[in-house]
Amino acid sequence: MNTFTLRIIACNRVFYDGECEILIFPGYGGQMAIMAHHESMTCSIEIGEISFRTPDGDTHVAIVSDGLINMEKNKATVLVYSAERPEEIDKFRAEAAFERAREQLKQKQSIMEYHVSSASLARAIARIKGKEKFDFH
Amino acid sequence: MANAREIQNRIRSIKDTMKITKAMYMMSSMKLRRAKQKLEDTEPFFYALQEQISSILSRFPEMHHLYFDNREKDRRELVKKKGYIVITGDKGMAGAYNHNVMKKAQELAKNAEDYHMYVVGEVGRHHFAALNYPVDETFLFSANNPSIHRARVITERIVDLYNREELDEVYVIYTRMINSMKEEVEVQQLLPLKTRQFVRQELLDKVQPSEFDKETLESADDWFLIYPSPKKVLEKLVYNYVTGFIYGALVESSASEENSRMMAMQSATNNAEAMLTILSIQYNRIRQAAITQEITEVIGGAKALKKKKKLVR
Repeated sequence: MNTFTLRIIACNRVFYDGECEILIFPGYGGQMAIMAHHESMTCSIEIGEISFRTPDGDTHVAIVSDGLINMEKNKATVLVYSAERPEEIDKFRAEAAFERAREQLKQKQSIMEYHVSSASLARAIARIKGKEKFDFH
Repeated sequence: MANAREIQNRIRSIKDTMKITKAMYMMSSMKLRRAKQKLEDTEPFFYALQEQISSILSRFPEMHHLYFDNREKDRRELVKKKGYIVITGDKGMAGAYNHNVMKKAQELAKNAEDYHMYVVGEVGRHHFAALNYPVDETFLFSANNPSIHRARVITERIVDLYNREELDEVYVIYTRMINSMKEEVEVQQLLPLKTRQFVRQELLDKVQPSEFDKETLESADDWFLIYPSPKKVLEKLVYNYVTGFIYGALVESSASEENSRMMAMQSATNNAEAMLTILSIQYNRIRQAAITQEITEVIGGAKALKKKKKLVR
């Protein structure tokens, strides 16, 4: 299968840098997939899970926050604030964040604060979901 | 010349100060290690972000938008309202670190007609408030332990002000660590974004643009998919860029702060050691002089007594 170069960079580490066969990510309004020799494009990534298959046949999953993807000359760059493997997620922390964000949303807030707390709520939900879906320990 | 007791007091007080500077040195070297690790982790993101932004902007369709500041209305404005995000430390005792940033900010403010300051860090906030600069009083953020969450909240505020057109231009003033001996104050314009002609020119102006760059630029007008729409992507891009840049700047600044504090404390300890050597030599001399004098006095006294005895006999 043809491959393309994929780089997933989060703000605290390089999550993945190497070859990839197919990349599935949450785009605006639904999931999208990219394969080798995709046309040049840029697209926004929503909070959720991305998965990609490496040439050795393994499928990797990452829970990501929002960001952008840039595809150019068979090289894809995914820039997100955070990217975590399901087993790295601390479920208790995610649940605490979930409760906190819900609590904050119930209170009267400015539009600005509303943006911040709704985004953290979405991140917490994505983390909990990813943890429950992929991590069986 | 001071007497022995005075010098002894002096030596004691210098020794006490040295204990503090030594402890602070140890602490900041520990913090520096952590900050440097963070900086190292962030660097790929920081540079990839700037690369991605200029790559996307160089192929962005021609459009008039608030974020490009090229609308008719923006052109007619004579005075641009500027916002300066100044990143200082929470504490002093860091050599010229805080001073350099504040000096740069004041320099920029002098040339601006209408501006507002958004200061991160306690030292800068006090400094500018005391000098009656237009500082946003509600912009309260600590420079310690930067987190992406803090960068997000800062971005939310700044972009909100920009969207309401209370700011026309946003700059960030921070300290970049070049290596462990050298750091530099840098000013970066965050908003409005550069238009695509500008980005292309910049790419061409780079020292020896490679064939690859040229080719990319020439084919830049070819079909380029922006999904879901340029406007939506632009919005995300702005948030991403500002958040990423502010986070990077916070991390760079905190590493620089710890680094300059460590160096300042190191040189303070060295100075204290040098002073102690000089003072202890002085003290020994005075003590020796005092002993010699006492001995002479005793001998002189004894001689006088002997003479007296002879005379009496």
